[in-house]
Amino acid sequence: MLTIAIAKGRLQDEALDLFRRVGITIPGDALTSRRLLIEDQSGRYSFIFVKASDVPVYVEYGTADAGVCGLDVLMESEADVHQPLDLKFGVCRLVVAGKKDSPAPSYNPMGTARIATKYPRMAADYFQRRGVPIELIELGGSVELAPLLGLSEHIVDLVETGQTLRENGLAEIETIAEVSARLIVNRASYHLKRAPVADLIETLKIGIAAERE
Amino acid sequence: MSTSLSKIPSGVQYIFDDEVRLRRLIEREVMTVFAGWSYSEIMLPMFDYADLFSLGMGKEQAEMTYRFTGRDGKLLALRPEMTSLVARTVATRFRERPRPIRLSYSGEVFRWDQPHGGRQYEFHQIGLEHIGSGRLEADTEVLVIAIEALRRVGLDGFTITLSHVDFFNGVAERLELDDDRRREMQRLIDRKETDGLNSFLEPYDDHQNRGDFCKLTTLAGKREVLGEARRLVTNAKSASALDDLECICQIAEALGIDSFIDIDLGDVGGLDYYTGFTFKIYAGGLGAALGRGGRYDQLLAKFGYPEPAVGFSLCLDWLAQLVAARQAKAAADAGDATRLSAAGDIVSAFKEATRLRSQGQKVEII
Repeated sequence: MLTIAIAKGRLQDEALDLFRRVGITIPGDALTSRRLLIEDQSGRYSFIFVKASDVPVYVEYGTADAGVCGLDVLMESEADVHQPLDLKFGVCRLVVAGKKDSPAPSYNPMGTARIATKYPRMAADYFQRRGVPIELIELGGSVELAPLLGLSEHIVDLVETGQTLRENGLAEIETIAEVSARLIVNRASYHLKRAPVADLIETLKIGIAAERE
Repeated sequence: MSTSLSKIPSGVQYIFDDEVRLRRLIEREVMTVFAGWSYSEIMLPMFDYADLFSLGMGKEQAEMTYRFTGRDGKLLALRPEMTSLVARTVATRFRERPRPIRLSYSGEVFRWDQPHGGRQYEFHQIGLEHIGSGRLEADTEVLVIAIEALRRVGLDGFTITLSHVDFFNGVAERLELDDDRRREMQRLIDRKETDGLNSFLEPYDDHQNRGDFCKLTTLAGKREVLGEARRLVTNAKSASALDDLECICQIAEALGIDSFIDIDLGDVGGLDYYTGFTFKIYAGGLGAALGRGGRYDQLLAKFGYPEPAVGFSLCLDWLAQLVAARQAKAAADAGDATRLSAAGDIVSAFKEATRLRSQGQKVEII
């Protein structure tokens, strides 16, 4: 049996939709219950539902054989796992944003740019590569508030439609990365459970292709 | 007591009681297997010049060492691995000795790597190096020894995945990749990012069918994979790498150890010093490889004495974790004896008991 970790929240419904379309179905009553460990109807897969940023952790340790999470979470975690499939849903962008009138990409040439973000590693990496000194302010949520209240000049955050930014008077300045949901697989499971893992990848691949047509 | 003195740095370990006994036991068993194949133990210094490790591991990996300055002002590093130390010793002090040279080691290594996925800053490696032979016998020998050592400590559900650095090198040369692009492609294959590899290969479309190269991420499985790889990749270097692996697989099959051996041509990450076949060892219950090894025919040349070599190491910390888990499970399983009454029909009770015993089950006559 394969254990699959699913990120709760943003990606959960679309992930389960994809699984359902390829014939991996979780009983409805189990989903509505508060159980965190649920088997699918075939008994071949057991699903665990965890916080998005915990998915790479479970998979890297091999506690879950595979998982579904956003590329944003995956890159931020730097987890050493296989990433065999782009699941093509949950598409958004990791962007640098600031107030509409903020001095764009020069990022405060007089000194260190202050950046508020939930993604400290990716933000630091992005600016360091461009030789821009920054001061990182790590926030847990509502990052859009930071420039409004003057906590930071810019933010690095995930944007789907850009509506939240616009409503708060912010504008995208640069795109750091395009992200979407990924299937990740533990390195040991990839070999030790090769047949079921290969089967899962192939099944999902067909499901994604069918959806795009 | 002062709390600042009670605090321990992250990534270090204190080990005591049963765990020490278990680790010592495993270490002794593994080293006994190595000695049984005529490997003699070498004790190595805890630190050496940082440059030595950069030479051996490659600059990037060697940056993950604990470094400090020696009294002569030179940069020193706590040993992040043992192979460089062994290689230099052999290239400098063992030149006169008859080949091949067989050396084993057991000790802690230190890496300044963010502890995640179960890795610590400090871990214990047990390994061996076979130096002076570039032949198939040496490759076979290290694989056979690895399997014997793992079985000796009670592991059986493990898989050794074979790869070969020249398989990827051949592809990279064919595509004429520069260092950065090459590293990028290596990363994509290592993570089996098929979609990413597909877009990476877009500019190289004229060279070969892109779809074929995208399959590089999925070339894992039993020996048949080698045949499939041959159809996809035709350059001479990659083909010769596949020949090497084919030979090893043939011998493994004849020796009856092929059930432990898989192919993973997508395993292209890792240390720079490998030059030929490489392998990783995976076991159920562990999310990462518990051991790795391979051929490194260029390393000794860096110390002025070129000769081929092959070796591997096991992580004792992970071995101990696995063995402890198996022992705990065995102890739990052993708890439930089937109780058989011999009060009435002694013969049938003992017949049944014998049958259960032949299946390895625990019985209790009441």
